[in-house]
Amino acid sequence: MIDLITVAGKELLDLRRDRLFALLISFLTAVTLISVTVGAADFRNQLDAYNLYVANLTTSGSGVVPAAPHLFPLQLLRSGIEYLEILGALFAIVLGYGAIAKEKHRGMLQLFLTRPVNRFAFALGKVAGLSMIWWVVVVLLMGVSTISVVTIGGGAVTGTDLGRLGFVTVFIWMYLVFWSAVAVALTSLSASHSTALIVALVIWLGFVLVIPQIGDTMDPDNQVPGGLFAALNIQKPDEMAVLAHFSKFDSIRNVLEVSSVTKHFERLSFALLGIKDQYNQQPIPVVLTAMLPYAITLTAATVVAVVFAGAASTRRTLQRKQS
Amino acid sequence: MSVFITSAHHETLSVCRARIAHLLLFVFIGMVSLSSIIGWVTNITVTGVYEKILANGLTVAPNPFSAVPELYYARNAVIYVVLIGTLMAIVLGVQATLRDRKSATAGLILSRPVAVSARVGGQLAGLGVVIFAVLAISMAISWAGISIITGAPLGSDSTFRLLGFAGCAWMLLMVFAIIGMIAGITSKRETTALLVPFALWSGLAFVIPQLGTAARPVALLNPVPMPEQTGGYFDVLSAITGPLSITEHFKRAGSILLRDSNVSGSAGSSVAILLGFLVIAVVVVVLVPRQKLRQTLND
Repeated sequence: MIDLITVAGKELLDLRRDRLFALLISFLTAVTLISVTVGAADFRNQLDAYNLYVANLTTSGSGVVPAAPHLFPLQLLRSGIEYLEILGALFAIVLGYGAIAKEKHRGMLQLFLTRPVNRFAFALGKVAGLSMIWWVVVVLLMGVSTISVVTIGGGAVTGTDLGRLGFVTVFIWMYLVFWSAVAVALTSLSASHSTALIVALVIWLGFVLVIPQIGDTMDPDNQVPGGLFAALNIQKPDEMAVLAHFSKFDSIRNVLEVSSVTKHFERLSFALLGIKDQYNQQPIPVVLTAMLPYAITLTAATVVAVVFAGAASTRRTLQRKQS
Repeated sequence: MSVFITSAHHETLSVCRARIAHLLLFVFIGMVSLSSIIGWVTNITVTGVYEKILANGLTVAPNPFSAVPELYYARNAVIYVVLIGTLMAIVLGVQATLRDRKSATAGLILSRPVAVSARVGGQLAGLGVVIFAVLAISMAISWAGISIITGAPLGSDSTFRLLGFAGCAWMLLMVFAIIGMIAGITSKRETTALLVPFALWSGLAFVIPQLGTAARPVALLNPVPMPEQTGGYFDVLSAITGPLSITEHFKRAGSILLRDSNVSGSAGSSVAILLGFLVIAVVVVVLVPRQKLRQTLND
């Protein structure tokens, strides 16, 4: 246990001094701020268009005024969550890869393994160090996001909203630890550093970008801008009734989507932040109950990835040399 | 001239021998080829959905998919070029310049009277040949796939359009391969060499288009380019970021060439911007200082 803590402590120290790490986190923070700013500007545009429309209606003497667009502050975080989905996972892979690759390259690993250390101390110590640093980063990132929603977005954040953000913080952390652990395992298993990184990137590409994109492409409602059913003026109950006849196709599409851990994370966080209309302004316990299967799978995937990292990092795999 | 040709030949040979490059190339070719099948299956289902709606008397609107052009089935290839193709090009570019530094052969090569422009230009030409071959294979498979789906060989107009699309894809991929080469030359660490171009890719593919369109990152994975927002600060920002959104320009040119009805206008300006980016990137990489190529790696 002491070995594990020592490795984790060393990883924390390394990352604190690493300029690349600082660059990555600054980039993530910047894109989060940009996305809140753009979201807020987009909402103000909608509001201006609405006000203009109402003014024109009043001038023309019409008494029917449509409902004004309503700002739900946490919805401003949608793009930020999507950036974490894509870029957060990418950066988590890079950090996980770097944690093992640097020790292999510098020869520190050989020195470490001459000591009577626990079999799992190295890999799990690295994952523990990365987990701690990700926790700090995610908490800071959510803090910055919340402040930007209030100051830039002009939204009021309630205690319940903070509770929602708390749960989302935990799920983001699990998602990032999952990708770092996968990278740690692959780098331990591979004799060549660049091969490990490229294989991890191919997995990232497949699960984060390609599979969800295929799922979206196969959605019948995504075939026409604005949605097929909206274009044909079909009401929701009729839409459901029609789609029931295509359940096999929809099941294949759904299986594709849920085979990606990214979709589980996305559905969870979108539900909690009220981005998905169905869960907007619903009490937290109601949302969590509905999203329990996704919470379980995300947790299980993270645990499996950490176990994989521990199991893959044997003395033999870690010391494997490229032929 | 011999340095240029030798470097080009060596680069092509190195990529052919690298197993990891094969993995990326196969993923790219596989996904571009698969895009026709995905498009076809989806089209059949959506037509079925429309017919069901019509049979239930819920609409009298005409079928929006009754007259889709034959190249409709290739529309997803646009997004696979932006997602998989660009990352493949970055990895190929990084490996091209990093290989010499890792094996410490850069110093040996540059100890001879070898012009940097000939050496780097040759490597770039080698990459150009590899990317051309990959796109040629992908487009040949797409051509055959669409011909099977539609029950007749693609006509000359559609074939030329597919070739035009491949040309635009080649320009985009070469820009990202050069970005990878520059990162491979200038970075002190292998991790940084791979990461910096990836961060740049995410900036060009997601952040810059978002500034001018307010589009969410995941929405930008749609093959159709996002329309620019108007009003407020978007008028100013879209004027600045519009020309820089190289992936959106590729999506626009690709969608027009593949006859996507959601995009109208001429592909000329977008093709010109892609070409402009390529020319600037080529100039930057062949003018790289000699000393930079000899830098050793820190890890």
